[in-house]
This record gives sequence, C-alpha cells and structure tokens, in this order.
Amino acid sequence: MAAATASPPRRPPNATILDALGDAVLPAELGADGVSRAVVEFQRWMDGYRPGAEANHGYGTGKIEHLPADPRPRWRSQLAALDADARRNGPSFSALPRDRRQALVRAALQNERGDALPNPLLARHVALALLAHFYDSPAATDLCYDAQIGRQQCRPLAAQRQQPVALGRKGR
Amino acid sequence: MTFVSHQGRAEVIESDICIIGSGITAAVIAEKLAEERETRIVVVEAGDDTVPLADRAAHRGRFVAYGESPWGRDHIDGMTADGIQSRSMQVGGLAMHWGGVTPRFSPEDFRVKSLFGVGHDWPVTYEELDPFYDEAERRIGVAGEQGPPELDPRSGPFPMPPLPLTYNLDLLKRWTDSAGIAMWSQPSAKNSVAYGGRAVCCRNDTCAPVCPVGAKYSPDFTWNALRASRRVELVPRTLVRRLVVEDGSNRIARAEAVRRDRGGANGSRVDFRARTFVVAAGYAWSPHLLLLSRSERFPNGIANRSGMVGKYMTGHRNVFAFVKLPLRLYPGMNEQHSLVTKQFMRPAKLDRYVRHDLRVWESNVGRRPRLRGDDGAVLLGDELMADWRRRSAEGTARVRAYYDVIPDRESALTLNESAKNAYGDPQPKLTFRDSPESLALRAHTEESIKALFQRMARAGNGEILRSGVDDFQDHPAGGCRMGDDPASSVVDSHGRAHDHENLFVVGAPTSVSGGCANATLTFLAVALRQAAEIGREWGIGNRESKGTGNRDQ
Repeated sequence: MAAATASPPRRPPNATILDALGDAVLPAELGADGVSRAVVEFQRWMDGYRPGAEANHGYGTGKIEHLPADPRPRWRSQLAALDADARRNGPSFSALPRDRRQALVRAALQNERGDALPNPLLARHVALALLAHFYDSPAATDLCYDAQIGRQQCRPLAAQRQQPVALGRKGR
Repeated sequence: MTFVSHQGRAEVIESDICIIGSGITAAVIAEKLAEERETRIVVVEAGDDTVPLADRAAHRGRFVAYGESPWGRDHIDGMTADGIQSRSMQVGGLAMHWGGVTPRFSPEDFRVKSLFGVGHDWPVTYEELDPFYDEAERRIGVAGEQGPPELDPRSGPFPMPPLPLTYNLDLLKRWTDSAGIAMWSQPSAKNSVAYGGRAVCCRNDTCAPVCPVGAKYSPDFTWNALRASRRVELVPRTLVRRLVVEDGSNRIARAEAVRRDRGGANGSRVDFRARTFVVAAGYAWSPHLLLLSRSERFPNGIANRSGMVGKYMTGHRNVFAFVKLPLRLYPGMNEQHSLVTKQFMRPAKLDRYVRHDLRVWESNVGRRPRLRGDDGAVLLGDELMADWRRRSAEGTARVRAYYDVIPDRESALTLNESAKNAYGDPQPKLTFRDSPESLALRAHTEESIKALFQRMARAGNGEILRSGVDDFQDHPAGGCRMGDDPASSVVDSHGRAHDHENLFVVGAPTSVSGGCANATLTFLAVALRQAAEIGREWGIGNRESKGTGNRDQ
C-alpha cells in the first residue's frame, strides 16, 4: 500500500524489534536498505491510520461501514511478546540469528487460518501485518515480476501498450 | 436568474425549469438546456457539494492506503433503502463513484419482444437514439474504438481515440480471437487525450471509486462550468419531499423542499415553483418522490394513474469466471480497462433466447502472494517471494457476461412505512424480481454463458479457476417506465408524465429493461432525447451548443 503522507515516521520504543522482524520475514533479496525502507513505510502507514474512519462504500452496497479499531496496541504487545519469548532462552529478539527469529515468527503465525495475506489492518499479528503491507505494495509486485509495472501509480497511458521493462539490478 | 421571495414562512424560488437531482443525467440535460434555450434553470440537490478535484489525490491516497472513503459526506443519514445499489447523495450523485464504462446498448435491446418474443419493446429504437448517443459521448467525453460495424453500429465517430490496449489485453485479445470472439477496447468516459479541459488518463487505476486527476468524467465538472457561467443555479443540501399538483388542473404547481442546512433539526421550508419540473433523481429516488407526493386527490402518488410508478424495476445479472492461461501477464498495468464484444448481444437466430455482453480483464486471482505453501507450512522471507514468482509465471483472465433480466411487474419500489427519514418521510424499499419467462430462461442462460467460458478456456489451453453468478441486478433502472400506452407506463418516450403535462422523468427510471451492458450511456442518450422535448417550450438561445466536452477543444 502506498504511504498516505511523506513525513518521517517517529521511532517507537520497539523500533529495534520491528527492524529485526522485518529482516526475518521480508525477502533477503531486498537487501538491508530495502528491508529498512519497507519497515519505515510500514511504520509510516501505522502512524497515519485513523481508526473508525468511514470506509469506502463503492458501487454494490448501501451499507456504510467504518475502519476497524486501532490494531497498534495489540501489535506493540506482540512485538514485546516476541522479544520476551527470545529472552526466555537467551538474548533479545533483535540479537537472535535470522533463522531463530523466523522460527519464533512461524510459531506465532502457526494458528493463522487460510493462506491468503489479509488486509493489513485486519492482520491479527504484527508479523502478518508487516508481510501483508509489503506484499500489497507496487514495489513488491514489480519485484515479483521483475518488471516496472508501477501498479496504481500515475504512468503514461501510451506506455501500457508495451511489455513492462525489467527492473535490472539498479531497480532492486 | 431566479426569483426568490418569502411567502408567509416559506422561502420560494421561482424558475422556468426545476430539475430535481444533480447526478449525471441531470448534469447533461441541464447543460443542453442551458446551451440551447433561453430559460431559467434551478437544480435542487439533497446532498452536499462533492470533494473538489484538487483534494482528490490526497483522498485517493488514503483510500489506497487504508480503504477510507474518498468522498467525505456523500450520503445523508437516514436516507437509504433496502435493496439500494449504492449510497451517493451529493452533487454529482452516483456517477461520482462510477467506473466510467460507456458501451451503448445494441439495437436488439430495444426490440426484444418484436425480435425474440420475450419481454417488452421500448417505445424508442436504437436508430432514434443514435444521435443522442453521439451527443452523450461528446458531452461527457468518451474514448472508444469502433468495433466491427455489423456488431457495433454507430453513425458518428467517437469524440476521442480509444484507450490503448495494455500489453496484457493485447495478449488476451489474441486469445479471444483464437476462440472466435471479436473483441475491442471498451469505450470509456476516460480521457485518452486532453478533453474538456481535463487531463489525460495516467493509469492510476482507481477509476472506481475515484480518479485523482479528473481524466474520468464526473458530473461535478459540468456543474462547476454551469455554476461559474451562472447559467444554472444549483441549490445543494435541499431535499425535495413532495410535488404538489395545482388545484383545478393536473399541472405540478410546486416542489416542497427542506433546506437541511438551515432551521435546525427540522430544516427550513423552501418551495420551488416552475413552469416545468424534471425529476432526474435516478432509479430509486425518482419513483420514490412520485409515490411520496400522495395526497387526498392522488392517494397513490402522482403520475400514477396506471399504478405503474415503482413497478418494473430492472437491471442485469452477471456470470463471471477466472480463467488460468499459459500467458505471461503483468497484473496492475491498467486493471480497470477491458476488452468488450457485442457478438452475443446480436444473435442472428435463436432456438431459445439468450443474450449477453462479454468483457475480459487482466486479473491477479490465483496469482497473489500467500502465507502458506502447498504443504501448509508458513512461508517467510525469500520462500514467500519465490512461491509468488512460481505461481505468477502464468496469467489469469477475468471474464464476465451481463445478461438481461426481464423484469416482473412486481419488481418494485414501494414506500417502507417502518423506515422514515429525519423529516418523517417513509423510505423506499426495492425488491427486484424476474418475470416468469425470465425465471424460466435463467438456468439456460447461465449454463450457456458458462459453456462459452469453458470453450474460451479450452481455446487458450487454459482452465477455469472458479466461476459464479452475482445474484444482484446491476445498473438498476426502471420504476417510471416509458411507453406509448398510459395504462402500462408512467411517461411517454420523451419522459413526459402521461398524467401531468409539465412533469418529466428522465434517464434511468424511464428504462423499459436493463439491457445486457453497462447502462449509463443509454440513460444519458434517452435523457438527452427527453431534454429536446423539455426544451421545446422555450426559445432557442444564441449560445453555442457543443457540450462541456467540446468547449475546450
């Protein structure tokens, strides 16, 4: 999802844990900078959320619905829980090697039903929210297809005739 | 332009023509009348002004990021209905949210009884509407491709070149060609070139619900121009509650309304007096207003001597499928643009009636990233991306066919006495119902379409991932159907009420049937033909008659 504002996100108390979570669940091929960028975008997206705002009510329904309650307190608790789980047997979550962080996340997500990535606002776990937010981004689609598609971004109309060009190393 | 006075406690606004509603139909007829006739026009809209174009990019950003409504206060608490298609009561109406898809009906849609022995003919033919289709396309700005003339008859060119096919759609067109189906670029009210002072489409791909650059037509552009030129007075936040018939005649004397933004919770009473009243409030609120206007003299509402107000609500149903194809597609190039054909709307000979449109889009169904692999294990890091890449090597097409539902007389809008708005007026209740002959055809129709989808999949060495039927009736219309016989219709083909010489109902509610394609352009063509009759009473003005779309060309 695109960020709604461009202001730099504030660093929450558990930012280090979130960074470590991003490194554990996002593709390593993003590189350290790419992972960091994705985590910053996720933090910015969380900061911009307005719980209870009126949801889009597009064609096909007369219902007026509102966005869900603020998930951030729950997600903060889950970050703290990941850290607490790590500390039970050793160092902090951030200090664990990647495979052990992934093992903790897998355990936390083991009971998630279905295989679809949810709307990030509805994610029951912060790791799932971070994954869903990243994989819903135009950058993730471009990476998957190795192509400059630029989904939902302003692009020249005439260029849609051509096959999207490959990202190339620089684009990644 | 208009005369405002206070008679007793009521504010009175006088004009020549009072148009009730400010949706897309109201916009094009107000523009036409203002350009072609010397007349004072007042437009009354229950809702607020809409979000200005300058704010839409920011609103879209929040829609994309969080799913927030991009349209602010676009509805009124308590003003809704069971069975309504959407909530959009604002300046510009439902077409502030629309997708901008503008096919024409085919000639057969207007003559199904004569040609196929089912349903009802319209009292107007495609050939009669053709110049008004042209005019509608010009006024709102339609980018379109001329299909094969035998499938896509039209007398004039589109005002804009077509939206180009995407790389994906080009591949999909080769696929449909191989299945023996001629498809072309879907006509759309989206700018393929600068038009009407508005920008070219830049594929933001959120046409519905919001175009952030104004490349998609929406009625606020017409209202902005008309208000700026002072050719039309638009009165927002004012709900018309009833039309009152003159004592001793059948003419409408006034529209009684309430200004919602004045006078506290009860609002402030305002009456609109005019020589001609035009109800342009869409498929739900138009028949609703006529029914609400009941009185001792007209206990069943006005324009309702036939008992047909609110009857024959109509629309079309759709059958859809997602087809897996061995094609490398790139979802996201322009997901809302599609291929279209009228091949199945124009059958030469039928053993049993079935007609439908057909559209094809790119899709990411079956190609989305997922949390679990085939073995059920949670995927993280590079595994998840690798799984997504593997499943994206092939493509998915979305296919959909609208088929016409022949409405039952009791497919109806009625007053719901148990649900009232803030002013005590009962709200509408809509119950869509197939006629018995339509019910009898339903399984045959849907199976025929699914068989077509199977044939298409085979032609592309693909397979159906899933298919289904959306049970609701899309692009709803009717409720004030037009006809030559006052015993079985509400208005004549020019929208004039059989019972009241100075009352017109225009656009969607006058439709006889829902056809089998997106219907907005047809509503506009019908309404522009009706506007020609509405304007006949006034002198021809000296203003240019080119439409909003051409003014800045």
